Amino acid sequence: MSLALSTLIFEWRRYLAAVIALAVAGLLVLAMSGMFMGMAKSFTNTIDRSPAHIMVLPPQSESLFANSGGQPRRIIPMLYQHPEVAEVMPMNGSWANFSNFPKDGQTAKSDGVQVIVIDPFEGSVTLPSDFSEPVMQALQEPYAVVLDRSVLGKLGVGLGDKAKMNGQTVNIRATVDGYPSMFNSMVFTSRQTARLLGIVYEGPRVGPLLVKVKDPTRAKQVVAELNAIGGGQFKAWTREDLSVANQGTMMKEGGISIMIGFAVVVGIFIGIVITWQTLQGAILANIKEFASLRALGVSMGRLRLIIMELSLWVGIAGLGLTAVLVAGVAALANAYAVPMDFPMSIVIPVVFMLLIIAILSGLFSLGILKKSQPADLLR
Amino acid sequence: MSNIAIDAKGLSKSYKIGKTKQQVLNHVDFNAYHGQVTMVMGPSGSGKSTLIAALSGLMKPDEGEVIALGEDLWKKKKAKIDKFRLDHCGFIFQGFNLFPALNATQQVEQVLKFCKVKGPEARQRAIAALTEVGLEHRLRQTPAALSGGEKQRVAIARALSKNPQLLFADEPTSALDSVSGQVVIKLLHRAAKEHGAAVICVTHDPRLEAYADRIIHMEDGKILDDRQITPLT
Repeated sequence: MSLALSTLIFEWRRYLAAVIALAVAGLLVLAMSGMFMGMAKSFTNTIDRSPAHIMVLPPQSESLFANSGGQPRRIIPMLYQHPEVAEVMPMNGSWANFSNFPKDGQTAKSDGVQVIVIDPFEGSVTLPSDFSEPVMQALQEPYAVVLDRSVLGKLGVGLGDKAKMNGQTVNIRATVDGYPSMFNSMVFTSRQTARLLGIVYEGPRVGPLLVKVKDPTRAKQVVAELNAIGGGQFKAWTREDLSVANQGTMMKEGGISIMIGFAVVVGIFIGIVITWQTLQGAILANIKEFASLRALGVSMGRLRLIIMELSLWVGIAGLGLTAVLVAGVAALANAYAVPMDFPMSIVIPVVFMLLIIAILSGLFSLGILKKSQPADLLR
Repeated sequence: MSNIAIDAKGLSKSYKIGKTKQQVLNHVDFNAYHGQVTMVMGPSGSGKSTLIAALSGLMKPDEGEVIALGEDLWKKKKAKIDKFRLDHCGFIFQGFNLFPALNATQQVEQVLKFCKVKGPEARQRAIAALTEVGLEHRLRQTPAALSGGEKQRVAIARALSKNPQLLFADEPTSALDSVSGQVVIKLLHRAAKEHGAAVICVTHDPRLEAYADRIIHMEDGKILDDRQITPLT
């Protein structure tokens, strides 16, 4: 084991402040971006878990969020021109007013909800892949709705209760997990129930189109071919690409990037200052030992390398603690159904950020080695 | 006649303390031989530590030259002086200056690794050096578990493991009890006799005189007295 690593392990208390500073910097950035990414992901849950392989959006769309205008329904038959397209369905989402029937002592609750329309049969392109058989069967009943478990309290209802949606009575027939929403709660209904509630728009314009292909492994090629068929009238995406684009769009939103940018700046600043000062103090505590190495002829360059290695290990220890803290925060968020997501596109830059903070702190601490004058050891 | 290991001429060094300039070395001529323990004695402030700093390449004198192992030390560049020390010099200080995180074997191995000695050989040499100083039963102890005398012996093993031709010791026994002090000076004596090193030991401990081949007395930056006890062969 190297001198730097042995020192870090043996004198861990001395380096703890630096490790904690790095972990807090990492947690600050990851928790904040994880929350925003989770929000973004909660908007796209139904897409991420859709059995559709391809999504078709208006031509200028850069993500699912920026296509409120919809697209012409005539695009549906155009997509069927491709021999590998198996099924095309528009994704229906609309808004409804949801209120409970308060039981004794319960408060009346009324809230706007986002209605997700599903075709509840095996292999349907609109049926989320994690919906179980009983949930699917429950949705087949008229006026049946399915809610995420986390929104039951918010809407003031329970499984098996009746509620009112757009003035009509519906039955809460099943619950699902993993569809938390930051804002409006999601309510799943069948297309039939949605029609009964009057919330299916069947005019000439449709929302995003969900496409199933015969061979999912060829989805990328089919996307390219569909875009060629469309000649600019629409834009086809693979589900994965769209999911990434959706999160990217969320992050590009001005407010979010400013907030995350601010967290990064604060994190880097706190991280560098505390790590640098801690490293300097710890090196100073061993300065006589370093000086004795200088006396024995070890060059200043080699001592600098020891410090740099030490700072790298501090960075790695900081990363470890960040992982533990972030796992804790994620578990807490999960317990309270707060959507959080930590995609690699965020985690990897944060890993580099922490290592760079540690290395910069090491570089700033090198000056202290000038105090390792072996002649000072002679008295 | 014994081989001359180090030969210094006209060494002068002064420090500025406030507005006054204090001469700590005043045109000192000094030499030391392989296989001999040369003891430099004198009261505090007599310039003995400054002398070994100048002789060993740790502090540049204002004037004078040091020919160490036939090389003009202060004509070399800084990096070359470091290399010279790495290749040829061992140091023992009053404070033991051992890394708290490393055990006795690792303390010695660490230095050998800097001398580019490969892992298994470094380990072997470290154990041999520690055995030589009588610490074969304390190989895995960190400094916290060692007594003062044992720590100094680890420092000696660290210095000896490089097989230095020049061994500088600055008050090596002043932090030790008399028994440990005896052990340490015997080890220095053995380094000279068995390894042929030129041992230059600065001390004001009169008990060590018995082990000296030559005793040099300094005061006010000058050599007052130079007694050869063991005749040069």
